[in-house]
Amino acid sequence: MKKVRKFDAIPKLNGTYKFIDDYYKPDMLHGGFLYSKCHHGKIKKIKFPPNFNRDEFTIVSHHDILGENIVPEPEKDQPFMAETEVMHFGQVILGVAHQNRQILKKFIDGIEVIYEELPAITDIEECLSNEENAFGKTLEVKHSADIDIKNNLIHTKRVYRTPHQEQAYLETQGMMAVFYPNDNVIFVRGTMQCPYFVKSALDAIFGNSITKSIVETSEGIGGAFGGKEDFPNIIAGITALLAYKSGKPVKAVLDRADDILITTKRHPSWVEIESYTDPITNKLLKVKIDYRLDAGAYQTLSPVVLSRGVLHASSGYAIEDCYIKGRLFRSNTPSNGAFRGFGAPQALFAMESHIDNIAAQLDIDPYILRKKNVLKLGDEFPTTQPVIENNLYDCLEKVLENSNYHKKYRKFKEWNRNNKLKKGIGLSLGLHGGGYTGNGEKVLNSEIKMVIEKNADINIYVANTDMGQGAHTTLAQMVDETIGHPHSKTKVMLPNTDKSPDSGPTVASRTIYIVGNMLRNLIKEIKKQLRFNNLEEYVEKHQDDFPLEFHSHFKPDPQVIFDDKTCQGVAYKDYSWAACTIEITYDPLTYEISVDRCWNVLDVGETVNPEIARGQVEGGVVQAIGYGLSEFFYKKGFGRKYGFTDYTMPTSMDIPKIEIEFIHTDNSIPKGLGEIPMDYPAPALRNAFLNATGLQIDEIPLTPETILTNLGEK
Amino acid sequence: MKIDFILNDKPVSLVTEPMRRLLDVLREDFGLTGTKESCGEGECGACTVLLDDKPVTSCIVNLIHVQNKKVLTSEGISQKPLGKLLIDCFDETNAVQCGFCFPGFLVSSYYYLKSEGEPNLEKIRTALSGNICRCTGYQKIFDSVMMACKRKQEQEK
Repeated sequence: MKKVRKFDAIPKLNGTYKFIDDYYKPDMLHGGFLYSKCHHGKIKKIKFPPNFNRDEFTIVSHHDILGENIVPEPEKDQPFMAETEVMHFGQVILGVAHQNRQILKKFIDGIEVIYEELPAITDIEECLSNEENAFGKTLEVKHSADIDIKNNLIHTKRVYRTPHQEQAYLETQGMMAVFYPNDNVIFVRGTMQCPYFVKSALDAIFGNSITKSIVETSEGIGGAFGGKEDFPNIIAGITALLAYKSGKPVKAVLDRADDILITTKRHPSWVEIESYTDPITNKLLKVKIDYRLDAGAYQTLSPVVLSRGVLHASSGYAIEDCYIKGRLFRSNTPSNGAFRGFGAPQALFAMESHIDNIAAQLDIDPYILRKKNVLKLGDEFPTTQPVIENNLYDCLEKVLENSNYHKKYRKFKEWNRNNKLKKGIGLSLGLHGGGYTGNGEKVLNSEIKMVIEKNADINIYVANTDMGQGAHTTLAQMVDETIGHPHSKTKVMLPNTDKSPDSGPTVASRTIYIVGNMLRNLIKEIKKQLRFNNLEEYVEKHQDDFPLEFHSHFKPDPQVIFDDKTCQGVAYKDYSWAACTIEITYDPLTYEISVDRCWNVLDVGETVNPEIARGQVEGGVVQAIGYGLSEFFYKKGFGRKYGFTDYTMPTSMDIPKIEIEFIHTDNSIPKGLGEIPMDYPAPALRNAFLNATGLQIDEIPLTPETILTNLGEK
Repeated sequence: MKIDFILNDKPVSLVTEPMRRLLDVLREDFGLTGTKESCGEGECGACTVLLDDKPVTSCIVNLIHVQNKKVLTSEGISQKPLGKLLIDCFDETNAVQCGFCFPGFLVSSYYYLKSEGEPNLEKIRTALSGNICRCTGYQKIFDSVMMACKRKQEQEK
């Protein structure tokens, strides 16, 4: 628990750290993609522009695929390139390469595709409200009890809606591929979260025609937030085909407009919650949740997002009679994918808004309802997983104290009677299960490698990437601290599938929680095995034994048993907990909300590097404020060109003062941290608006347009 | 066309297409890849450089507009005393996350520190409002610039 500075901060600041577009190779071609501008249709003809010499260009289509035209991870249903039919706007049809980036762009812009158009679903509302669009597996969680529904119970039934959200990592997606004909090897470097996903994509697209594929990340990864979990598979596969066909290195980096149009986003959701509450005890007795996600045209990652969404759908409340149903819905828009929170932000928006709607019906402070129903020691999750601590309750109490909630709740009521500008304070709870769901970590069977060099340096080989979250600094710090080095001797090597074993993807808040703990345990074992106190002295005395290499696999906890079919059992071994209050000022004349303050209290276990941990929360909270307030995307007729001019993320002028406190940091393990700060702020913001105005708006973002439309409907 | 300008305090000249974006010329012809392209429409500030001592987004500046002017990039700033001071502060607060936007933030912060330099949160917010960061939530960036302003004032005492 000491302050360790990030190893990569200075080279990132002075511009010497290399991101994918900073790599050049002599003779290199630039790669680009022709994508569909039709929502659903048969490809009748592709016409190339006549004023170009086609021999100057390398072009690949599905005909050039040597293996299989199916992206193998995660759900095997999406082709690398469309064959005879396109299923959505933005679906890649061709890969093209040329030595000049500008000429390449003009050529691709000049290609004309003739389609026979077919019926398409491009309206989110139409997609999610029509049960006929459901596809894939339905998930159900049941926690049954015989609850007598008496007439005096408060019945609340509402539908909550959340939109697409763009990850908007500052560095767009990109890959560079090189084919080495002598060894028959494909090498791909790029900006990604999951080198082994990309490797399996290369192995699928090339089949047996190459001897080996090697994937290494670029030095810098300019943000990802989930957006670089599965889409890099497609870019890497096609870029590698271009390199193979042309015999030259090919670098393909998307421009912003293309990145927004063709890559994955957060799933829009439609969540109906029906509940019965006892007005005497304020106990939530029966809750029924219908959780729907717009998956886009293909399932890809969506079944996993759905599962996490369903498992977080009842938020942090003990509900004896709870039924949750989760389904994916098909639309003719790009497949939606991973984005920080992974189904939980949608789930928590619905449930945390619902709590405030019930409180409004009961005419009580929403805090009272939360205090009564919050998960406590001895309660059960809907999966029957027992709750083993009161830490969520502690977060709730602490955030009320820190933000002076009770006083403000009273004061704002008074203020709003006498002022044109309205003030409000809103509350929400948050929870996030760390790592893969249920048996996922067991199945992943992550492997790590550690090498102690002749000079007692420790090199760590893992597949987890540092995309800005500081994972490589924190992992090295964990090893240094465990070994008791007086100064830093540990380095995490750039992930490379030829050198780093598969320690699993960089997702699900699992890097420090799972891989960090594995490294810690391994170094403890090594210490015991070699019996040293000072590693440097030991290595000097036993020079002939070094370098020494150590491997270790994930050891599953036998207590973690989850039935994927019935969704019963331990869904996540360790939950992180949070509570949040947000204070806003609303101007009824302009319909504008300004976010004034945001208090966060979190239990994420041990905070290995407290400053890095704070940075994660600050960043997540601001992304969530954008989600709740301003980040607006298409609702119908996808295909309009977007840039950062009209996709409005929070700037330095739009953000509140953010207060953060971590509690229960004496825990012996660091739990999941990356995602939870994205999960809970949007409903707190929405509840603050309700507190300020009395208006129950059940959708985000709360732009002036959304507010105006909802006022019109009342 | 022949274009002459001062790049990071050194005179340079090149013969090229005058309507090329300054961003591309810096990256491709001079290998100064610290200047990043993110939005490509002058909105995010990742490609910010100083043109005759004023911040501009180099993705919407055509090369013809730098004729006989001074261009200072993050690489140039990181060699200057105030640039080094800022880098120290960003490093000390662990402000940097993915880092893609940071060369741009360095340029805007340097401009503020040099031209204004008051440790005032509202002024710092405004000075940085042309730079988007998706990772940090800005808090630690404000802290770093505030720290640099205070240190500069102390040095001047």
